[in-house]
Amino acid sequence: MQKFEYIQPSSIKSASKYLRKKNGAAMPFAGGTDLLGLMKDNIFSPKQLVNLKKVDDLNYIKYDETEGLRIGALTKLSDITNSEVIKNKYTALHQAASEVATLQLRNIATIGGNICQRPRCFYFRGEFDCIRKGGDTCFAVTGNNKYHCIVGGGPCYIVHPSDTAVALLAMDAKFKISSGNVEKVVTAKDFFVLPDTDDMKENILEDGDILTEIILPNLSSSSISSYIKVKERETWDFALVSIAGVFNRNGNIIKDGKISFGGVAPAPWVEEEVNKQLENFKVTEESISKLSGIAFKNHDALEMNEYKVILARNLIKKLLLNLV
Amino acid sequence: MSIKKSKFFFEEELIETIGEVSEEIYKTLPKNKKLKIIGKKIPRYDGYPKVSGKAKYTFDIKLPNMAYAKTLRSPFPNAIIKSIDTSKAKKMKGVIEILSHENSNDIKWYRDSSFLFDKHVRHEGDEVACVVAESENIAEEAIRKIYVQYEELDFEVDANDSMKNNKLKIHESGNIRKGKPDEYSRGDIEKGFQQSDIVIEDEFSTEIEIHNPTEVHCSVVNWENEKLKVWDSTQGIFSVRGSVAKALDMEEENVQVVKEYMGGGFGSKLEAGKYTVMAALLSKKIKRPVRIALDRKEMNLAVGNRPDSTQRLKVGVKKDGTLMALSHYSTASIGAYPTGGGCSWPLKTIYKCDNVKTEDYSVFTNTGKARPFRAPGHVQGIFALDSIIDDAAEKIGMDPLKFRLKNYVEKDQVWGAEYTSKLLREAYQQGAEKIGWKNRNKTPGSQSGYIKTGIGMASQIWWGGGGPPAHANIKITKDGIIHVYSGTQDLGTGTYTIISQIVAEILEVPIDKIKVIIGDTDITPYGPSSGGSTTAPSISPAVRDAAEKMKKKLLSAGAAIFKTEEQNVSYNEGIISNKQNNKIGFKEIVINVSGDMIVKGSREENLKGFVTQSFGAQFAKVEVDTLLGTVKIKNIVAAHDIGRTLNRQTLENQFHGGIMQGLGFALMEERIMDKDYGKMLNPNMHDYKIPTMLETPEIDVIIVSECDEKANNMGVKGIGEPAMIPTAAAIANAVYNAIGVRIKSLPITPDKILMALNPKN
Amino acid sequence: MKKSNQPSNPNRRKFLKGVGTGIAGAYLASPALETKAKNISNEILDSYEGKIDFSLTVNGQKYSRKIDPSKTLAEFIRDDLNLTGTKIVCNQGECGSCTVLLNGDAVYSCHMLALDADGGEVITVEGLESNDQLHPIQESFIEEDGLQCGFCTPGQIMSAYALLNKNSNPTDDEIKQGMAGNLCRCGAYPKIFDSVKAAIKK
Repeated sequence: MQKFEYIQPSSIKSASKYLRKKNGAAMPFAGGTDLLGLMKDNIFSPKQLVNLKKVDDLNYIKYDETEGLRIGALTKLSDITNSEVIKNKYTALHQAASEVATLQLRNIATIGGNICQRPRCFYFRGEFDCIRKGGDTCFAVTGNNKYHCIVGGGPCYIVHPSDTAVALLAMDAKFKISSGNVEKVVTAKDFFVLPDTDDMKENILEDGDILTEIILPNLSSSSISSYIKVKERETWDFALVSIAGVFNRNGNIIKDGKISFGGVAPAPWVEEEVNKQLENFKVTEESISKLSGIAFKNHDALEMNEYKVILARNLIKKLLLNLV
Repeated sequence: MSIKKSKFFFEEELIETIGEVSEEIYKTLPKNKKLKIIGKKIPRYDGYPKVSGKAKYTFDIKLPNMAYAKTLRSPFPNAIIKSIDTSKAKKMKGVIEILSHENSNDIKWYRDSSFLFDKHVRHEGDEVACVVAESENIAEEAIRKIYVQYEELDFEVDANDSMKNNKLKIHESGNIRKGKPDEYSRGDIEKGFQQSDIVIEDEFSTEIEIHNPTEVHCSVVNWENEKLKVWDSTQGIFSVRGSVAKALDMEEENVQVVKEYMGGGFGSKLEAGKYTVMAALLSKKIKRPVRIALDRKEMNLAVGNRPDSTQRLKVGVKKDGTLMALSHYSTASIGAYPTGGGCSWPLKTIYKCDNVKTEDYSVFTNTGKARPFRAPGHVQGIFALDSIIDDAAEKIGMDPLKFRLKNYVEKDQVWGAEYTSKLLREAYQQGAEKIGWKNRNKTPGSQSGYIKTGIGMASQIWWGGGGPPAHANIKITKDGIIHVYSGTQDLGTGTYTIISQIVAEILEVPIDKIKVIIGDTDITPYGPSSGGSTTAPSISPAVRDAAEKMKKKLLSAGAAIFKTEEQNVSYNEGIISNKQNNKIGFKEIVINVSGDMIVKGSREENLKGFVTQSFGAQFAKVEVDTLLGTVKIKNIVAAHDIGRTLNRQTLENQFHGGIMQGLGFALMEERIMDKDYGKMLNPNMHDYKIPTMLETPEIDVIIVSECDEKANNMGVKGIGEPAMIPTAAAIANAVYNAIGVRIKSLPITPDKILMALNPKN
Repeated sequence: MKKSNQPSNPNRRKFLKGVGTGIAGAYLASPALETKAKNISNEILDSYEGKIDFSLTVNGQKYSRKIDPSKTLAEFIRDDLNLTGTKIVCNQGECGSCTVLLNGDAVYSCHMLALDADGGEVITVEGLESNDQLHPIQESFIEEDGLQCGFCTPGQIMSAYALLNKNSNPTDDEIKQGMAGNLCRCGAYPKIFDSVKAAIKK
């Protein structure tokens, strides 16, 4: 690793100001489990790291029946998996957080970092001058694209690697972003960007922006949620495809619900056609088959990842079968 | 004791060595249940240093004034170095010296096909320069400041493409190693197919597998005047000594290689590393000890792998199950430098077949050179063979187990030699019983529901016999400690432990009186490199020979001390007694003998006309989620004939280990290479996936053998490799049994299952 | 099935732009950041010796040093304190061999900055033995043979220690989950599991 200066501000304001001033040469540093890896591989060599862990208090889980759930962005993933209220009321988030990496990494990694992590694409993380790093070629398109996206891609074809982001999208989460003096709240959907909007960033954060809080609405008492992640090994692996579902249900009738996917697109993804059907939806073998059939009809699978279309559709089946 | 020319079969070759062998013929030891220490659950000798963190591996060795070296490696798969500019790197604070082809002698490497620093770099990761600095971090940063101009050349990273490419010559002799395949035939293959009732043909493939031992390849070197001491994480101290001495144009006697503990090898540490020689050259120049350790990326690029395979098999059978003909064609990427990649050996030997033809192409590719990896050739070969054997059995409506029993062979089919022992039938029977073979799906894929289970099996054959020369010395010191010296290696395989057990058993003394010293070319007598499952069957008999000789020596000394003839004294539990029942213990004997109490023990010759092989069968029970494409291994039953069990616990552990590696090979391990740029895409331990605790199935290890009397004086066969050979094949057959579709390429990842089960999509 | 918006390159052999000719030997720094960053000369950082105050209690003993920010916790433990029981195997938080306890939690010491542990309490494998007596977990690993080459063993033991400290009577499944973040290339998992299970009773 190249040497760097370690800046340890105590307020968001000063952290944000510093980052903006350095114009990208300085990078925000939370748990560091993603950034350290990128630095060790010399993909990024920031001159300064701005430590967010001592900034104000961004480490909390607050639940209120009217306000819903508020999670500080610097909350460790292990604290999220240990939280009773998240386990009981926001189960998909609990399960998604539990699926991240391993225990030892969850003891360091933060939810903000998990949401903002960079893609796992071999070419992005290798010695390739790819589009996302400012070059003009996507090497995956004609190269190895087994793990890449089936929708939403072009000119870059990454998938967004975060598990928690998928659950948060299904739960209609909002993200609070601080930029020194200015704060704004955006929906999870608006937080992420697709490559045709910006092919070098996965989210809307600019230099100096810091994700400070995740806000989840209160879910009704008849709501259940879950997250399923399909991997090539049982732990310590990113999703081939993953699925989160939040449902308001009565027996085997879904009054309303939302399903989101990971591993299929450069951002956590929803299939609008599928979600539209989830109003007063009676779960039967037949209805599930029909539902999964309408998903990803207009996919753009690459040479090596057509299996993801099958897998994503099957995950709809699996998710709903688990409900009954 | 005499020097003899000794022959034994090993890894497809007849090996002849001239070495010292013992001529003592010892009575076969009784069955394990009658022995006190051998075969028992004795805790690992080196357990304490390892669990306490006190064990110093090569990686941990720190010498005063030590400097740190790192290697610059080619980012290109094939290129000529035009110039190297080290000026900026040299100016960095803390950088001491830099070596490259520009300022070092041409030291031949890779069987004279290249050099230590070759101007022509032939794979991503090929060495270009070596920097030594005050710290590892500085050396790493200095590497990035070396400016190299490369002339990039065309390249091939796939064996089949490389074979067809007439314009590119990776070596002068062309892209096929030796210019031709390794061929073998017996009987009349065409006639065999003609006489068959059913002929089937199919193609299978496996990927490059990378050893990735936990401890990286590393050396610490230090010169004392003209003598070089090398601490190396190696499976072959004498091999390293020889290679390093040759490279540095030194006498072997002036090179000492030491290895006390090592963090795994699996075959990747069987040869001397370029890094060791580079460190030695730098160390000599800067007159300081130098440490060089590879990082995980280098581990994946430059220190070996299991070749991949594309295999075309053709099987001819009669309706009654008789195998009439077997033909095998394979290609393998062996990397950029000469080595072997064939995988037809199991097909030639394990099932009875009079008409066999094999053709193995080892093909050069612009990728890291292959190195032996736990049962080279056999893991890939058995996967293809046992898959198509199952298919042949199904075609004639025969149970695959019955089919294998039908084609059971008592003798070796290549050399015509007798086996010293073969209990494969017992392995089949006991393994089948344990897994519940009777309850297997009669029709593959016939279960209802999304989760389908299946059972599959595969066989194993491997050279388990070892051979001379192998030595062990025993010296008893006046403090009553029995020192055993042997120039062998413990990779975690339990060598320390079995040596202590054998001495304790033969000398009938408590095991805590024994101190085992291995891995030092200066003080431990010659032992072979630890590969090919040769350590236990080579070293154990040598250790026994030494212990038996020490017993005789103690008797002789006791007789002298009691002033009587040797026939009037007897030995029991380390105590010599005379006819008057006076007793003297071994410690006292040593105190009373002037001079040293030392004996040298040697491995005896192998029996002429015989060949020693291990045999076995593994049975896998799997669960396939047909919605998600995931495979879960529920049970593995491993039934093996490996002669005598020396230590039940360490043996079980070895089998667990081989099975876990076989599981990894079956389900998740593969080097991912970008064909357009010739670069490895997953040179790390996250994208190169190895099994975790959560993949671990229930494993039952059944040893069907008691002792192989004819193999050696301990009745022992090697076990490291047998453990891994049949696992992937058994899993593949089990997956077929579960889902009714055969996956013919490893690893069996979810995408392959999903595409196989949904062909129209 | 979409392949690409880009014209296919008729020449199958492609060369990496910017790697090799005239550029630093092994790796590419991100060109995107290079263009965005202000031009801070490398020389300044090369001589930046980074003296940041740092204190850490390791195995009950407090250490105060001035260290460079880029030093990882594993490097501090191994190089500065000479506690070589903790191993570096992948140096990317991908294998678990460097596992130590930090403030009671198992962490990958190779994959965090030492400075991020400032003021905390670390326990390494060397800290488990006391008065020449092995910790029951270490004893169990010997009795049940939960190791082969031993290089991943300190990390395994520390994960077991962390697990049993938080949950003194884990189910089989909880044991496996607790140990899931430690790779063993020798494949000693069944006996590692047995060792942890045996340690529960002690």
